[in-house]
Amino acid sequence: MLVLKAFWQKNCPRCPQMKTVTEELKQDGYVVEYYDLSTVDGLAEGAYHSVMSAPTLLLVDEDDQELAEWRGVVPSPDEVKREWAMM
Amino acid sequence: MSLESRMAKKTTHLKNDFQESTDLALFVRTSNEDMDGWNRQKIVAALVRETYLDVETAERISKEVEDVIMSSKIGVLTSPLIRELVDAKLIEYGLEKARKMHTRLGMPLYDVDQLILRPNRENANVPHGPEATNLTLAESIKKEYALLSVFSQEVGDAHMRGDIHLHDLGFCDRPYCSGQSLEYVKKFGLHLPNAASVAQPAKHAEVLLAHMVKFSATLQGHFAGAIGWDAVNLFFAPYLRGLSDREIHQLAQMMIFEFSQQAVARGGQAIFSDINLYWEIPKHFADVPAIGPGGKYTGLTYADYTEEAQKFVWSLFEVYLDGDASGRPFFFPKPLVHITEKFFQTPRHQEFLDFICKVASEKGNTYFVFDRGDTAKISQCCRLSFKLEASDLADASQPWKMRYTALQNVTVNLPRIGYLAKGDDTTLFSKLTDVMELAARAHLHKRVFIEKLLALGELGPLSILSMKHDGSSYLRLNKASYLMGMVGLNELVQIHCGEELHQSNKALKLGLRIISHMKIVSEKLSKKHHLKFVLEQTPAESTAYRFAKLDLRYHSPASGAVVKGDLSKGEVYYTNSTLLNVGAPINPIERVKTEGLFHPLITAGSISHIWLGEAKPPAESLANFVTKTFHQTQNDQVAFSPEFTSCNDCNKTSRGLKDNCSYCGSDNVDGITRITGYFTKTSIWNKGKKGELTDRHRNAELFTQKMNKVRNLKEVI
Repeated sequence: MLVLKAFWQKNCPRCPQMKTVTEELKQDGYVVEYYDLSTVDGLAEGAYHSVMSAPTLLLVDEDDQELAEWRGVVPSPDEVKREWAMM
Repeated sequence: MSLESRMAKKTTHLKNDFQESTDLALFVRTSNEDMDGWNRQKIVAALVRETYLDVETAERISKEVEDVIMSSKIGVLTSPLIRELVDAKLIEYGLEKARKMHTRLGMPLYDVDQLILRPNRENANVPHGPEATNLTLAESIKKEYALLSVFSQEVGDAHMRGDIHLHDLGFCDRPYCSGQSLEYVKKFGLHLPNAASVAQPAKHAEVLLAHMVKFSATLQGHFAGAIGWDAVNLFFAPYLRGLSDREIHQLAQMMIFEFSQQAVARGGQAIFSDINLYWEIPKHFADVPAIGPGGKYTGLTYADYTEEAQKFVWSLFEVYLDGDASGRPFFFPKPLVHITEKFFQTPRHQEFLDFICKVASEKGNTYFVFDRGDTAKISQCCRLSFKLEASDLADASQPWKMRYTALQNVTVNLPRIGYLAKGDDTTLFSKLTDVMELAARAHLHKRVFIEKLLALGELGPLSILSMKHDGSSYLRLNKASYLMGMVGLNELVQIHCGEELHQSNKALKLGLRIISHMKIVSEKLSKKHHLKFVLEQTPAESTAYRFAKLDLRYHSPASGAVVKGDLSKGEVYYTNSTLLNVGAPINPIERVKTEGLFHPLITAGSISHIWLGEAKPPAESLANFVTKTFHQTQNDQVAFSPEFTSCNDCNKTSRGLKDNCSYCGSDNVDGITRITGYFTKTSIWNKGKKGELTDRHRNAELFTQKMNKVRNLKEVI
């Protein structure tokens, strides 16, 4: 199963923008998991995927392999959908 | 029974008046190496002075001790014996606090005998000899002193039980590690408090080197750990203008031999020294006005000295490549080459990288320190580094200010928490928080103690660290960090979820959660106590052994299943810090990548070791590996460790650890390889490290000549 992992943190100027995109994708039925980088679980998951900046959005498969990544940038919902469709 | 009634009961047995002075025909061997007549009042005076007991109680106790001595018909009376008798009386009276204050610190005769005859293997950098014995004896007393006087009983007990390890207790009256700037010596010369003579700033490169080595030796007496020097080739560069290549090479040779042969530091060991080196001119120093001969500005910036700086660093590695007169690798100073974004934009970087990789393959000396993005740091020790923040980078315009220290290192025994948590997550994280809070209290105790010593200024024991040539104390306490180390993450994860870090994603993610928790707790504690608590991968040369031994004692049989090494020989250890099992057959690329996931969480420094064994991989293969490690992983630092056999009869050195010399067949040989962060002879390793050495997975197969290294590296990363 494919999952979108969204990494965010407080006071990150572009994180709300990413949330708008991921919420829209969620409403369209895409699976989105949020990770707050200021928490233990968020930081650990971020370390596992070498997330060094927020926002970061990753598309991963059931083995946690990264299939697409947007690090420090916010993609459009269509861009994410296109990547998802290609997998 | 109350103290009063106990004393009343005792009083009934006393026949003599307390004020009566009894002359005994006894002489006491005193601590001042003389014989003194018996004088009971000396006991009274000591009790009142040292324990604040009232005179009457002190009189009672002294009289009872005198009675014991009189009735014993003892032949040789010593002041330690008298003190022991007094302490026994204090216990009888229930005066525990007074007994503690009155305690004598020292060692049994048997232990001293053993120490003088046998080497101490806590630190493989200390050779066996009279100075080493002095060091061990002094350390044992200072350890006891620290546990009684510097730290609270709660902290001391936690150390003794092995919940935590307070590093370098025998050096409790000094900070831990340090990073220096050569600019301080260039600008102010060698002007040390209490020194017999003062030297003006050096006018010649050789004199600057002499100042650097002498200052290092002095500093080694004031820090427990390494003496690191920043950007050494760059700061030497203004002194090298006009020198021939041969003269520069000669200076490089002098530097390495001076540091590796100066067996003058504590216990007769070589100065534990690190030199930070750059191929490029680091961004933060490029436009800084250069200081040259006589401590004067040359009118140029450091960027103008690129050629000299590069010649010098190249020469240093030529010397490392040659090794010593027997072809052995130099143990010190350790060369730490910073690989940065700018490195890859600097002309001839590939040529230099290939060259230092050749040295890494042949001799193992090179450390590759990765400073990605805007990161800049000063490495101080095996892996300890100080990441420069904005205010530190602002100091770069006056580089002599860039002096950093880690005041203390407290390491957490992670597997211990696993045994106590019994598989419950909540207990695990709660106990981890508790032990980190305890570690923070240990740091506060040390801070208070060091502040007390520093407050004595130039008359105190840390006068060197109090000197103020640039207006502020040499030791910039406001910049100090306080290290929280860890040992045995691999075993904690194994205890908690049944698998080791390398065995499943579940185990790896649990490991990352544990270290993330430690990072967040250390940040919260920093805010609470206004001290900079940072995580560091503890070198744990002896701690990994000590924790494993203590857990085998207190947490068997559970510990028997996870402790690594050979239990039958007592060669036991826990896996160091956040490293993967050293014996697991993991290819080096996967190792640096997976271990590197932890490195961004560990602010004060991490490293991955690649054990080469007998393999001697081609330089370009290692260079490719290093480049990809920089660009495609988060790993902080990598070192490649070959093994050597050095013959004491024919003075030749061969590859691999062997029982006999490959050249002459002699069995009078020394095995040499990296113990934690430095090379040393394997014969003086502690048992835990010997167990680890047996288990280490050598990566010979990946680096064999037959393989197409470049293609494979591309496939794996």
